[in-house]
Amino acid sequence: MGSLKDKLVVRDLSKGYREKEVLTSVSFTVRDGEFLSILGPSGCGKTTLLRLLVGLLTPETGTIEKDGVDITFAPPDRRGMGIVFQNYALFENMSVQKNVEYALKIKKGTRMIARERAGEMLAAVGLSDYAKAMPGKLSGGQQQRVAIARTLALRPDVILFDEPMSALDVATRLSMRCELKRLQKTFGTTMIYVTHDQEEAFALSDRIMILDRGEIAQLDTPENVCKNPANDYVRSFVLDNLRAKIESLSAFAEGLSV
Amino acid sequence: MTRQSKAVRLTIRISLVLFFLAVVICPVFSIFLRITPAGVRALVSSKDFVPAIVNSVTTALTATLISTLLALGAAFSLSRTNIRGKGVFSTLFVLPMLIPSISHAYGLKALIGANGSGILSWLLGLNFSILGFPGIVAGSVLYSFPIAFLMIESVLRYEDGLPYRAAQVLGIPPLRRFTGITLPYLKKTLISTFFAVFTMIVTDYGVPEALHTRSFGYTLSILMLRDVENARFGSAGVIGILLLVPAVAAFTIDLFIRDHGQSGFVSEPVGAGCGRGARVLAYVFSGILSCLILLPIAAFSVQVFAKSYPTDLSFTFSHIRDTFRSGADRFLENSLLYAVLAALFGTALAFLSAYLTTRAKGPLSRPLHLLSITSVAIPGLVLGLGYVIFFNRTPLYGTVFLIALANTIHFFASPYLLMVNTLNKINPDLENVGKTLGVGRLRIVFDVLLPKVRPSLFEMAVYFFVNSMMTISAVSLLAPPAPLPLSLMIARAESQIDLGKAATVSLLILSVNLAVRGAMALARRRAAQAQG
Repeated sequence: MGSLKDKLVVRDLSKGYREKEVLTSVSFTVRDGEFLSILGPSGCGKTTLLRLLVGLLTPETGTIEKDGVDITFAPPDRRGMGIVFQNYALFENMSVQKNVEYALKIKKGTRMIARERAGEMLAAVGLSDYAKAMPGKLSGGQQQRVAIARTLALRPDVILFDEPMSALDVATRLSMRCELKRLQKTFGTTMIYVTHDQEEAFALSDRIMILDRGEIAQLDTPENVCKNPANDYVRSFVLDNLRAKIESLSAFAEGLSV
Repeated sequence: MTRQSKAVRLTIRISLVLFFLAVVICPVFSIFLRITPAGVRALVSSKDFVPAIVNSVTTALTATLISTLLALGAAFSLSRTNIRGKGVFSTLFVLPMLIPSISHAYGLKALIGANGSGILSWLLGLNFSILGFPGIVAGSVLYSFPIAFLMIESVLRYEDGLPYRAAQVLGIPPLRRFTGITLPYLKKTLISTFFAVFTMIVTDYGVPEALHTRSFGYTLSILMLRDVENARFGSAGVIGILLLVPAVAAFTIDLFIRDHGQSGFVSEPVGAGCGRGARVLAYVFSGILSCLILLPIAAFSVQVFAKSYPTDLSFTFSHIRDTFRSGADRFLENSLLYAVLAALFGTALAFLSAYLTTRAKGPLSRPLHLLSITSVAIPGLVLGLGYVIFFNRTPLYGTVFLIALANTIHFFASPYLLMVNTLNKINPDLENVGKTLGVGRLRIVFDVLLPKVRPSLFEMAVYFFVNSMMTISAVSLLAPPAPLPLSLMIARAESQIDLGKAATVSLLILSVNLAVRGAMALARRRAAQAQG
C-alpha cells in the first residue's frame, strides 16, 4: 500500500431502482495507492456502487469526494477515474493501437502525444507486437490487457474494475492477477476491484469490502476478514467458500490416490 | 452536459413519436372519420359487397394454406437435409419477392391464360383457364410464398438439436419425433406465418385485379380501389377498416406469441444429416417448387422478346421499344427516385428509432418502439387511403415525397426490427466507455457503432429500395396526382391489353431488383473476404 492519504471518501451513498433500494447509506474511504476489492454475491450492489463512483449513475443521497473535492455530480470524464468492464467493450472496428489512442486523439491536451503514449501503454501491458492487430483476433486475456492499456492511457489516478476476469480461463486469470499487481506498482494507481470470486479478492487486495444486500457487512484486511468476521453473514460467506474449496481439493486428492 | 444531452435525446424521442403519430396513426384515424352511414348503406346494399367478402376470404384462406404448407416443406428440405445447391434453391424461393404481385398474375396468364392463350396451354393444346378462383389462388401463393418460407426457415434453422438426440437414443420413430418435437416447436411460428400470409393476400389487389372474371366477381381490395377511383371515400373507408381487421389480429397475435424459439438456448444444431430417401424427396420437392416459381417468370420473360406470343416466338425488341416509347424511362426514373428516397430516409429513420429504443432508452422509448412496428399492421392499400384523406389538402399531396414517405412507413417495421436486433447484440457498455474516456455519445455512434452495423444498414437500404420498386399498394392511390412509378405501368398496360408492355415492365423491375440484390451480395462477399 502507498501513503495513508485518503483518495476517495464516500458518505451515505444510496441508490435505488424503481422504488427498490440497491445501495443503502454506504460510507467508506479508499486510501491513495490502495487495492480495494468489493466482494459479494450477485445483486448485492457491487456494480451499482462502481458505476456511482465512476459517474455512470447518480446517487439519490450521499457524496463522493476525491482528493478532498466533491465529485458526486461531476461527469465521468472529469473525475480522473477509469473503468475496465467485464466485457472489455473494445472498439472492434479499430486496431489495438487505435483503441488505446482514440480518446487521447480526441482530447485537446493529449492529441500530439497520442501515438507515443499509446505505444508506452501497450509496452506496459506487453502488447507492443499486437499494435496493428484487430481486437477480434486476440485472446480473452489479451483483450483484457488492451482494455487496461486504453484506460491507463488517460492517466487516471483511480481505476475501477467490474468483474474483469469472469470470462477468462483459470490460467489466464492467474497471470492477469500478477499483471494487475505489477501495473499498480508501476503506475501507483488506486484500484477498486469488483468481484464475486473470493480467492481473487483475497489474493489481490490490501482491503476487502464485503457487501450484503446493499450494505457494507465488513471492510477490512483479508487477514482480519478471515480471522475476525464482523458478523454471521461474513462468517458464513467466507467459511462456505473455504469449505467448498476444501471439499473440491479433497475430492481431487481422492481421485489422485485412486 | 449530461442533463443537456438527456434533454436532446428526449426532444428527439418526442419529435419521432409525434412524427409517427402524424404519418401512421392520424391517416388511419382519418379513414374512420370519413365513414358515413350513407357510405356504409351504399356499400352493404351493393350487389358486389357480400360476394367480394366471400371471394376474399375463400381465395386468401386457400392460398394461405397452400403457401404455408409449401413453405414448411421448402424450409424442411433446406434446413433438415444435406442436399446440394441449397444456396440456389433458397435464392429461387425468394425470387418472387422482387416483382409486384400483379406480375405473378401476369406470368400465370402468359403461361396458362384462358382457352389456350398461354404458352403452356398452346403447346399442350389444353383448354384450361387460369382466370378466376384457381388463378387468384395460384398467384397469391406465388406472391406470398417467399415470406412464409423466410418466416419458417429462420426459426427451423435455430432449433435446438438436443431433444432430437435424446429421442433418437430412446428409439422414438421419425414421424413421432416430428409430431412430438418439431410441430410443438413450430406451433407459434406457424400461427404467425398463417396470419401474416393471410393478411398479405387478403389486402393485395394486384393478383385479383389481373385475374378476376365477371363470373368470379370482385374481392374487397378491388372494390376499395374502385371506390377510391370514384372518390367514394365513405365506402372505401369501410372496406379499409375491414381489411385492417386481419392485419391488426396478426399484429396482436404476433406481439403476444413472439418468442419463435429463437431466444431459447441452442446447445447443438439439429444437423442436416438424413437418409437417401429424404434427400431424394427434398430434391424432387425443391426442384418442382423452383420450376413452379420460375415458369410464370420465364413465361413473361419469353413474351418480352416474342413477336406474337405465344403463336410466333421469333425474337424481337419491339415490345421493349414500344414500352420505352410510351414513357417507361420516365416511369423508371420516378420509381428509382421513390426507391432511393425511401432507402435513404427509411434507413436513417429506422436506425435513429432503433438506437433510441435500444441503446439510449428513456421516457417514450416504449411508445416509440410500438409506433415503429405498428405500420406492419396497416396494409398498403389502407395506408394509401389514409394518406389520400389525411394529406389531401397539404402541400405534400401529389409530390414525390409523399409517395417516398408512404413507402418508407409501409415497409418500416422489418428494417427497424433488424436494426433493433443488431444493436441489441452489440456490447452495451460502448457508450459508457466513451463517457469515462471523455468521448461523446455521438462520436461513439459515428466512429464505432455505424461501422459495426454497416452490413445491416445496407441490408435495410436494399429492403426499402427493392420493395419500393415493386410495390403497387399505397402508390396506386397516391399516383396520380404524384408521378407514376414503373410498377403501376403494368396494371395500365394490362387494362389496355398490351401484354407485351406489361411483360416488359415486369422484367425491367425484376432486372433492377436483381441487380441491386446481386450488388449487395457481391459487396457482402468482398467484405467477408477482406475480413479474412
